[in-house]
Amino acid sequence: MDEETVEGAAYTKEQFMNAEQKMSALVEQSLGEYKKDKSVNAMFARLSDFSKMMSKDLINWGRSNSLWPLQFGLACCAIELMDFGAARIDAERKGYLLFRGTPRQCDVMIVAGWVTKSVVPRIKRLYEQMASPRYVIAFGECATCGGPWWESYNIVKGIDQVLPVDIYVAGCPPRPENLFSALMKLQDKVGGKIAGDTERNLSETTRRAEGEGL
Amino acid sequence: MAVMRINVGPIHPSTHGVLRLVVDVDGDTIKNVEPHIGFLHRGVEKLCETRMYMQNPSYFEKLDYISPMSWDEIYVAAVEAAMGIEVKEAAQYARVILLEFQRIANHLLWIGTLCNDIGQLFTMFMWCFRERAQVLKLLEDVSGGRMFYVNMRLGGLNRPLPQDFADRAYALTDYIKEKITQYEEVLDSNEIFLERLRGVGRLSAADAVDFGVSGPVLRASGIEEDVRKSFPYYVYDKINFSIPTKADGDSYARYRVRYEEITESIRIIRQALENMPNTDVVGMPIKLIGPNAKPEPVVVRRELPKGEGLIYMVPDKQRPYRVSIRSPAFINLSVLPKLLEGAKFADIFAVFGSLDIIFGETDR
Repeated sequence: MDEETVEGAAYTKEQFMNAEQKMSALVEQSLGEYKKDKSVNAMFARLSDFSKMMSKDLINWGRSNSLWPLQFGLACCAIELMDFGAARIDAERKGYLLFRGTPRQCDVMIVAGWVTKSVVPRIKRLYEQMASPRYVIAFGECATCGGPWWESYNIVKGIDQVLPVDIYVAGCPPRPENLFSALMKLQDKVGGKIAGDTERNLSETTRRAEGEGL
Repeated sequence: MAVMRINVGPIHPSTHGVLRLVVDVDGDTIKNVEPHIGFLHRGVEKLCETRMYMQNPSYFEKLDYISPMSWDEIYVAAVEAAMGIEVKEAAQYARVILLEFQRIANHLLWIGTLCNDIGQLFTMFMWCFRERAQVLKLLEDVSGGRMFYVNMRLGGLNRPLPQDFADRAYALTDYIKEKITQYEEVLDSNEIFLERLRGVGRLSAADAVDFGVSGPVLRASGIEEDVRKSFPYYVYDKINFSIPTKADGDSYARYRVRYEEITESIRIIRQALENMPNTDVVGMPIKLIGPNAKPEPVVVRRELPKGEGLIYMVPDKQRPYRVSIRSPAFINLSVLPKLLEGAKFADIFAVFGSLDIIFGETDR
């Protein structure tokens, strides 16, 4: 390998160093302008530049630390969801849990319980009312795959046939501790610590389900 | 004024599940309430016909997910009746103890969520869940499951009781008895709590009988009826306990009845622990069950935490031919439009919450 160039790279090492110097010179220059002009407007201009630079990380950091779940339970797992917010686990001590009654204020939908065909339109409506970006946790066997009701005639075999699911939690029902770890994993995902696209739209499966009129 | 139609639910924080209420209001006064159920229907009775006898308890536990063990027990009792199997004496006592603990857990959760519904946010909820967690811990150590136990086997339980079961159960009853006195201090002197519940949703004794309600809702209307007394099963006839009743029939009476049932359950548990023989409680292994069923249908009645539960089962060789369920929650829900006639809109959840409805059971 050549000392000066990295194989397969678009730029030589020299070009890269030059670019870096140019960048730092630009930053120096802009800071110098700021030192000269101390008006409030200029300060805000700097702040907006800063936030543009930082925006993605900063916003993701904010999002990941203020996940508000929707207060929404279908069946058995909802009792564990209540236990999750109650005295023994007390999820609010982590700061990201404030169960809200309206979907418009929420970021996370925890689908806790079996999903019947008659309740699917309601869940979809709630999901559409949530502001983007929104995340879905499939909590328990029933929401993951239909669980013990797999053979039933009125059950949707997993909420992922209808909504894009971010985290699956196994168990029948999962313990509240499992939900705790799932939300921490979701925090990592939203904050960009583990792979996963944060800006998501309705998945392909959802469109298919809509086509079938579910 | 014109009558306005308002839709409540089906997904609403206070409906304890998925209930849709179509409410006609004139100003703030309710003219008519129409409950719509069936959002959780999954065909339990049909699914039971496709499973072996002892695969079914886990379906029955999901009928009432606040007190799963009571439905587990009633189904296993039906299978025992069909097979002609006697329950071991120690196991009878153990079942009574576990079922009463399950009743306590159910009523604790009910008090917590009722207080949430009427706006007394989260203090009682936290307290009740704190005590309920202790009960669930004991049941978990006995059965192996935190919420769904599936610990009834034909003739007994699925495993021996823990060595220190009696000591822990005594300590737990002491603990709960001490804590629920605090509830009484907080709730029964709380003006807002009393204002929200007193005189709301009044159900007369005649109406209660006509609608066929059962359990605490019936007893709060002044009728002393309890399957544990009138058709005793297991060792309830050897145990000295009383049936709490109230004459008022309003939401507050239903709260008082359930509150006093917790203390009665503690009495039952202590007497059962004293008299329990120190013998084996383990029932038959699952693989031995099946071909001996008699062809006659069986009916089993039990006093569940929510009311009187009943199972009608037509046995077949390897699996039940037909299982029919009488759900107390379903029949107690039918009284809701009657209770809400002429009430205010804000009373809906003070009345609905006091009935203790569970939708796994009503929709099945």
